[in-house]
Amino acid sequence: MELLRILLSRCVALFRGRRLDQELDEELQMHLELAMEEHLRRGLRADDARAAALRDFGGVTQTRERYREGRGLPLLESGWQDLRFGLRHLRRNPGFALTVVLSLALGVGATVSVFSITYAVLVHPYPYADADRIVYPLLADQSGRLDWAQLTAAQVRELATSDVVEKLSARINRSMALTDHDFPESVTVSCQTGDSFSMLGVPALLGRNLGPADSPDGQEPQPVLMLNYRFWRRHFNGDPDVVGRTLELDHKQYTIVGVTGPRFGWGGNNGNIDVYLPQKLSNDLPADVSFYVFFKLRPGIPRSVADAKLQPLFEQFAKEVPGNFPRRFTVKVQRLKDGTLRDLGGTLDLLFAAVSLLLAIGCANASILLLARGSVRQHELAIRSAAGASVARIFRQLLTESLLLSFAGTALGVVLAYSTLGAIIAWLPVNSFPNEADFHINVPVLVFSAGLALLTGVLFGILPALQMVRPEINPMMQTGTHKIAGSVRRTRLHGALIVGQIALTLLLLTAAGGAIEGFVRMMRVPLGYDPHNMVSVSIPLHENTYTRWAERVAYFTRLRDKVAELPGVVSVGISTNATPPDSGWNQTFALLGRPVNEEQQALVHLVGPEYFGTLHIPLLQGRLWDAVEVKRGATLVLVNQSFAERYYPHGDAPGHSLEVPGLKGQPPDMLAAPGSDGWMQIIGVVADSVDDGVDKPIRPAIFMPYGTFMFMGTQLLIRSRSTPETLLDSVRKQIAAVNADQEALVHGNGELEWWIRQEPAWARGRLLSGLFAAFAGLALVLAAVGLYSVVSYSVVQRTNEFGIRLALGAQRRDVSKIVLASAGLWVGLGIGIGFGLSFASSRMIAHWVENSRDDVLVTTAVCLLLVAVSSVACLLPANRAASVDPMTALRCE
Amino acid sequence: MGENKSDVLQGTLDLMVLKTLESMGPQHGYGIARRIEQVSNDSLRLNQGTIYPALLRLRQRGWIRADWGTSENNRRARYYSLTRVGRRQIGKETENWERIAATMARLLADQ
Repeated sequence: MELLRILLSRCVALFRGRRLDQELDEELQMHLELAMEEHLRRGLRADDARAAALRDFGGVTQTRERYREGRGLPLLESGWQDLRFGLRHLRRNPGFALTVVLSLALGVGATVSVFSITYAVLVHPYPYADADRIVYPLLADQSGRLDWAQLTAAQVRELATSDVVEKLSARINRSMALTDHDFPESVTVSCQTGDSFSMLGVPALLGRNLGPADSPDGQEPQPVLMLNYRFWRRHFNGDPDVVGRTLELDHKQYTIVGVTGPRFGWGGNNGNIDVYLPQKLSNDLPADVSFYVFFKLRPGIPRSVADAKLQPLFEQFAKEVPGNFPRRFTVKVQRLKDGTLRDLGGTLDLLFAAVSLLLAIGCANASILLLARGSVRQHELAIRSAAGASVARIFRQLLTESLLLSFAGTALGVVLAYSTLGAIIAWLPVNSFPNEADFHINVPVLVFSAGLALLTGVLFGILPALQMVRPEINPMMQTGTHKIAGSVRRTRLHGALIVGQIALTLLLLTAAGGAIEGFVRMMRVPLGYDPHNMVSVSIPLHENTYTRWAERVAYFTRLRDKVAELPGVVSVGISTNATPPDSGWNQTFALLGRPVNEEQQALVHLVGPEYFGTLHIPLLQGRLWDAVEVKRGATLVLVNQSFAERYYPHGDAPGHSLEVPGLKGQPPDMLAAPGSDGWMQIIGVVADSVDDGVDKPIRPAIFMPYGTFMFMGTQLLIRSRSTPETLLDSVRKQIAAVNADQEALVHGNGELEWWIRQEPAWARGRLLSGLFAAFAGLALVLAAVGLYSVVSYSVVQRTNEFGIRLALGAQRRDVSKIVLASAGLWVGLGIGIGFGLSFASSRMIAHWVENSRDDVLVTTAVCLLLVAVSSVACLLPANRAASVDPMTALRCE
Repeated sequence: MGENKSDVLQGTLDLMVLKTLESMGPQHGYGIARRIEQVSNDSLRLNQGTIYPALLRLRQRGWIRADWGTSENNRRARYYSLTRVGRRQIGKETENWERIAATMARLLADQ
């Protein structure tokens, strides 16, 4: 009851503060007057009486303060007061406040957004149950190259019974056409075996998942399908009543039984699966139908054990179907995320290291500024303390200000993180991260970075208050500390922070320099072909169409000729698998009259004779095929310059023969010309063009007429007179004129320049060099600002000293020298340490930054840049120190 | 400052104020402070300012009340007087104090 009463009266006091203050003042005034009158009556003179009254009272301000504390809710009240005071203070020093806030915000924002991406892509990319136990077998050949294992239905069933396998999912993906529309629309279909959805353990969004009952043993699968979420949104506008309706694929009706969840992307590498169909696994399938398999390991089975257990099984499979397997191999099961880790892991780790550096630099910068600010404020704090503020009160006030700065920095950092997340995702190389990845701000990292920023602010913000605890108010007030050199301890702390900041900045700059240099070099690589005004159009065939060899060759030729008729088209080349810059099919080959060597591999390209002219690849030696040779599937090949120089260094490649034993047809899908896997004569040599990605050296290549080996589709490479995008519609019309059922697919905008930008190495290079350059630039600015403020504050503190020096005859140059000497020591030390760090980590960086070399030039350039920026940051305040007017400086006292 | 002025135990000052108000009736802050000094024959010289937080404390507890009145020099002044609760409280506080004083006396006598 009593407590409640006190609280109530305090709350009332909170809102009537001003009036209560007046009343108290009146009361105290009264008290002093009465006391004075009494002293006067005793015969003291007026001013003595007043002094005596005040002495008896003992500290009016302190009494008032203590009274106030007892009156309202002091913490809340003074907190509010501190907040307003802090805001006023920061508004008066906008440069300081802004720099601290930005330093913290940049660090927090960059760290949070990059880590959020790392988390979404590498740590937790899949929505599936126990995703870490879901694996797929890859086969490593002798050179360590990893390849997919393809299994027959019988082999899949045998693998499913292995004791390391808990559940297994096998699939065949194919392209089908939606045939209930005017125009056939191509959809990507993934046919999944019965256990697939139960292995993944994700409930359907609508309806149900496909299950074993949809593909019962010994029967054809049920005519049912499941829609992928994205396809459902795109094609059905997210219609909730879609379950139970039918969809016509390749002129056959299927009932829709369900829609997958939004993050579900099983079956494709880049989210391109539209529809899931049930797939049977019976023996009556053609022997050449092969499956990609995924399975869930039983709990507690390490992958090495699975590798060992599966090795004999796969060796037995290889004996059954030798064509599907390399000659010698080891089984290596991979987790779902292993591919992403290989492609992107290093890049993201490196970026995360970079943003961590940026966070450290940002925090160091904020610390430096707060410290410098604190030393200037010693005088102010001393006065406040003398005017009745307790140490705790000053402590609270500084804490409020630091918290204000830290919170502002952190909040801005969070905003930055949100706004940069999307931009960085857009720069991620496509296809190199799982389409299931769900990007959102990672809360634990947000808390961590925000905590670090807050801690920095608080720690360095209240440091001046900690020094106040030592009661040396009088000397501090009287000597005006801010005019003499700062204490040794604090200077050392400043120095250490500056050294650390410079060192980390140099490290970041070196890494950025390396990344940019590598990327620029990659962009300057001579391609060997002309990608300008070129577009690639993909022509998929429907199942069981053009199953005879001659028919299919003629069809492809007719499509090419029809497109070539267009007036906007310069030339058209058929390229089944040869769209640069990453083209061809890696195959083992043999040379007639030379011993067989398994390591002897080349990229086999299936093209038409117009391919070379269209891409501007010159013929160096011999001749191309003529139309008749293409039509009859002549066993004549061309090789590139790398091939010729490597295997026929005397320039005598034409006339020799080679053999690619892997080119065996598998009707009705894969059609091979007679003699495709036999000896073929080399008739010409073409110039080198990039064929293994823009980041890797050109590999030996073999070019065969496209009829030699045909998949279920081909591509047309079209050179247009102007920008190709205007041409695509007429190309589609020309194709439809040949076959109304034939759709034409374009990846991206189809242009060959787009294909280059899609190269993982290219996109990684752009991501790394872009972000690194941004981070390093920010770090450089932060370091420069930090250095500038420390030197500036030290100059302000030593104005008086410089005045004396100048008055005693020192030259202005000497004063500059004094300032520069201490700053120069820090910078030099920082650069030295940074150099050492860069050197120590250069091996690591070179490992992750593509095409990076230990480049002395880059390191030197970066050092020079840092020295130049630091010099400017130091010279400005040094000049100010040198221009001090001795008289003014001395009068400052 | 203040090295020759004794710091008065918090509870003690509260009781002194209550007792002063009981014997003198309504009184302003200066009056209370002087009265306490006079009663002690100026042997206890307090920082007169400390009386005000004590008065605030007592008011918040509801033991005394404050009303504006007119002082001997014809100025507006705040007069403090005991409430009924405060009057009752004096007994308790006195008992308390005597217990402590007795304990102190015994302890000191033992030396």
